[in-house]
Amino acid sequence: MLIADCGSSWTKILETGSGRLEIMQTREFVRRRDLRFEIATGHSARGRCRLYRNELIALAEGSLALVAEPDFSVVDVGGRDVKFVRFAGRRVKKLDWNLACGSSTGATIELLGAYYEVDFARLGPSERWIAVTCGVFGMEKVLEHVSTGTPPEEAVAMFLHGMVRNVYDFCGRPEHLHLSGGFCENNCFLQTLRGYCSVTALGRTVPLEGLKVERDA
Amino acid sequence: MLSNTPSPVRYAMNEDRSGIIIGYFGFPRRSILSEARRRFGAGAALFDLDVEDGAPDAGLLPPATCRIIANIVDNAAALGGRLAAVVAAVGEDKCDRGRHAAYLLRGMGLEVIESRFPAGEFEDRPPVFSTGRGPLAGRVRRIMATVVDPSPPGDAPAPCEPTHGFWGVPPNDMRLLDLFPPTTHIYGWLRCVEAGRPADLDLECAVDAGVPTVFFHQSFCAKQDLAHYLAEKHGGIAVDCHREVNDSILAKVEAFITLS
Repeated sequence: MLIADCGSSWTKILETGSGRLEIMQTREFVRRRDLRFEIATGHSARGRCRLYRNELIALAEGSLALVAEPDFSVVDVGGRDVKFVRFAGRRVKKLDWNLACGSSTGATIELLGAYYEVDFARLGPSERWIAVTCGVFGMEKVLEHVSTGTPPEEAVAMFLHGMVRNVYDFCGRPEHLHLSGGFCENNCFLQTLRGYCSVTALGRTVPLEGLKVERDA
Repeated sequence: MLSNTPSPVRYAMNEDRSGIIIGYFGFPRRSILSEARRRFGAGAALFDLDVEDGAPDAGLLPPATCRIIANIVDNAAALGGRLAAVVAAVGEDKCDRGRHAAYLLRGMGLEVIESRFPAGEFEDRPPVFSTGRGPLAGRVRRIMATVVDPSPPGDAPAPCEPTHGFWGVPPNDMRLLDLFPPTTHIYGWLRCVEAGRPADLDLECAVDAGVPTVFFHQSFCAKQDLAHYLAEKHGGIAVDCHREVNDSILAKVEAFITLS
C-alpha cells in the first residue's frame, strides 16, 4: 500500500509492505498524475488519495510513535510552513502552525542556496545572523551583505542562522527539540540550532509514521 | 476545496437598497445611530460597512491593510452618493485605522458622524449568543445585529458548557467559523459587543480557563498583539487571515480543534 506526505517542495512516498521510501521533488510529483495513495497528507496530496489526513495531526501522531518520552516538543520545518507540537504526559499541550511565512521555511533557503550555488553538505554555521523578519526582506539583506563583500556562503549561513532563531522562538525556546523534515539533513541548520538547544533529528518521514498509526488504528 | 469568493454576509440592514442608506462601522453609540435614523427617516437602510459585500477595490489604501478597514472604504466608495451619512466608530471601541478611515471618507465628500463609545454608556447585557449552543457563524451574525437592534431575542439559544472557544472579531470570511462545534463559546470583541461594552479591554481579554480557544485576528490588525499574548497565556492558538481563508488556515484550526 502506498502512503505519502506530499509537501510543497518534496514528496515522500512509502510502500508500507516493502518499506521502500521514495523522495521526489513535488514539481515532479504533480506531473505524475498516475500516482495515487491510500492515505496521504501535505499541501499537494488533496485529490490524490483515498483518505486525506491533516498534516499537523499526522506530525503529532508520528512523533508520538517515534519518541518515547512523556514530555517533548517536536517541530517540522517544511518547505512552506512550520508545524510545532508540545506534549506533556504524551498529551498535546500546545501546538502552532506558521502557515505562509518565508521567514522560517525551507523553500526560501533552497532558493538562496540554488542562486548562490551553495553546497549545504559543506556549509558551516555562522556565529552571525541576519534578522529574518520576513523571507523576502531577509533575502534582500543577503544580497546586501554579498554586495558589500561578505562571501555568499557566509551570507547564506547568516540567513540560516536567522531562520533558526525564528524556529527556536516559534517553539517557545525549549531546552530540547525534536526536529522533523528536510532540515534534519542540513548540517549547517542542525549545528546552528544546537547552539540554542539540544536537538534530536527524527528525519523526513515523521508524518508518514503518523499515517501508519492512523492506518493501524 | 474552497471557492475563491466568500458568501456575502449581512449583519444588520433593513432591505431597501434603492433609497437612502446610512452606513456605519464598528459599534457606534446607540444614541448617535438613533439620531441618524430620526434625521434621515426610519425607512433609510442601515448598512454595516465593515462587511465584505463584493465592492471593487477603491485603491485608496495600501494592500497590507486590515481587510475590515478596506471593506469600510471600498463599500463607502461603491455606495458613493447613495450614502446619506456614515456613522463612524472612531474611539477606543474601534481602532486608529477606523479613525483614519473616517477621515478618508470625509475627504471623499461623505458626511461622517463620529462616535466614541464612553465607558459611562456601557451596558451589561447577558451573553445569550456568546454562551448559547448553535452554529457559530449564525450566533456571530446575531451578535452583530444587536448593534442596530439590541432588543432581547425571542429565540435565544439554549446555554451550554463550552468545549471550545472563539475569541476575536467577525472574520472577513465567515467560512472559518464553520469548523467550530456548536458548543463553542464566543469571547473577545464580539463578547463586548453583545454585552454593550465595545471598549471594555478587561472583558475583551476574558476567557474561560481550560477551554481550548482560537484567538482570531484579521491580518494587519492591532488586535494581533492581544491574540498572540492571550494564546500564549491560555494555551490556545492565534490565527490570522487577510482576505479569504485558505486550506492551510482551515487545516490549522481543524488540527487545533481535533487535538485539543
